[in-house]
Amino acid sequence: MPPYKIPKRVKYRKEFRRVRDRKATRGNYVAFGDYGLQSIEGCWLPSNVIEAGRIAAQRVLKREGKIFIRVFPDKPVSKKPIETRMGKGKADVDYWAARVRPGTMLFELSGVTEDAARLAFSRVAMKMPVRCRFVGRRVEV
Amino acid sequence: MNKESPILEATKRDRLGSRYARRSREQGQLPGVIYGHKIDPVAISLNEIDTLKHIALGEKVFQIKLGDAKPETVLLKELQFGYLGDNIIHADFARVDLTERVHTRVHLNFVGEAKGLKRAGSVFIKSMTEVELDVQVSNIVDHIDVDITDLDVGESLHASDVQLPVSTMKLMTDPDSIIAQITTVAEEEPDEASTAEAAAAPEVLTERKGDDEDKD
Repeated sequence: MPPYKIPKRVKYRKEFRRVRDRKATRGNYVAFGDYGLQSIEGCWLPSNVIEAGRIAAQRVLKREGKIFIRVFPDKPVSKKPIETRMGKGKADVDYWAARVRPGTMLFELSGVTEDAARLAFSRVAMKMPVRCRFVGRRVEV
Repeated sequence: MNKESPILEATKRDRLGSRYARRSREQGQLPGVIYGHKIDPVAISLNEIDTLKHIALGEKVFQIKLGDAKPETVLLKELQFGYLGDNIIHADFARVDLTERVHTRVHLNFVGEAKGLKRAGSVFIKSMTEVELDVQVSNIVDHIDVDITDLDVGESLHASDVQLPVSTMKLMTDPDSIIAQITTVAEEEPDEASTAEAAAAPEVLTERKGDDEDKD
């Protein structure tokens, strides 16, 4: 199995699905880098997709810049095997996902030019299951 | 630093609440509030384009002219943003005197081409983009330039290295905190240990012993 990120320890093995389409009130601005890739839709972002995005950005940037991953897959998502009858309890965990709300910052970049960041994030956005937009740092007081 | 602070025309908001604030935004107004100096707060409405233009330029001290009254000197205290985190929806202003000392955050502008960045694989990391200062209102600056020309790989700049433009300014940020550094980006090759660790299931803190045997 590829080294997808998952939590080291959790309180419970499985969890409820919960409501997911609320707007982001935290983690919705560029905090660490100079440029960011912001999700404008909500989803559960699987850990392998986060890794795919990181690799896509790294291949464009070669060894330039620093990538910050702003989401962590801490939600276990369970899935019943195919051709299984309903019932018999909750299924095993299939994958781990990050909860992404509209406005959540997915990736950030620092130490590169804006053109390089735009190119890298356009490649990353192709891997994402949600519509994304390129953003810079916001006005600070 | 601008000698003269910009004058903003404002009107008093009589009807308060999110509904009326949204309506005023739809008409090109920016809702705001003025408070401080032990005078009752006043809800105001500003011209959105003019205000955002000055805020984007880094202005912090304004003269707000409310109707026919004498303009008040105010300091931009806080901004509220919309859900995508970048559209300004409300501004807080605090009444100040030009001779008063206030705590404010000033943006750092890194200038020069660092010698460490000429090496392959080096990356410039800004750990902090602003510092907190204790400063007289008339001396508030839009930004402070920080020269990074002599910065090499593995070296870092601390808050104490920032050259304050006015001698009466006091640095409130921890002087030892790192504001910028140049590091080398190591090529990431997942080692076997981390792969094995990542592949393993997480430890479940509340799991009772023998749960696995009980399962079907």
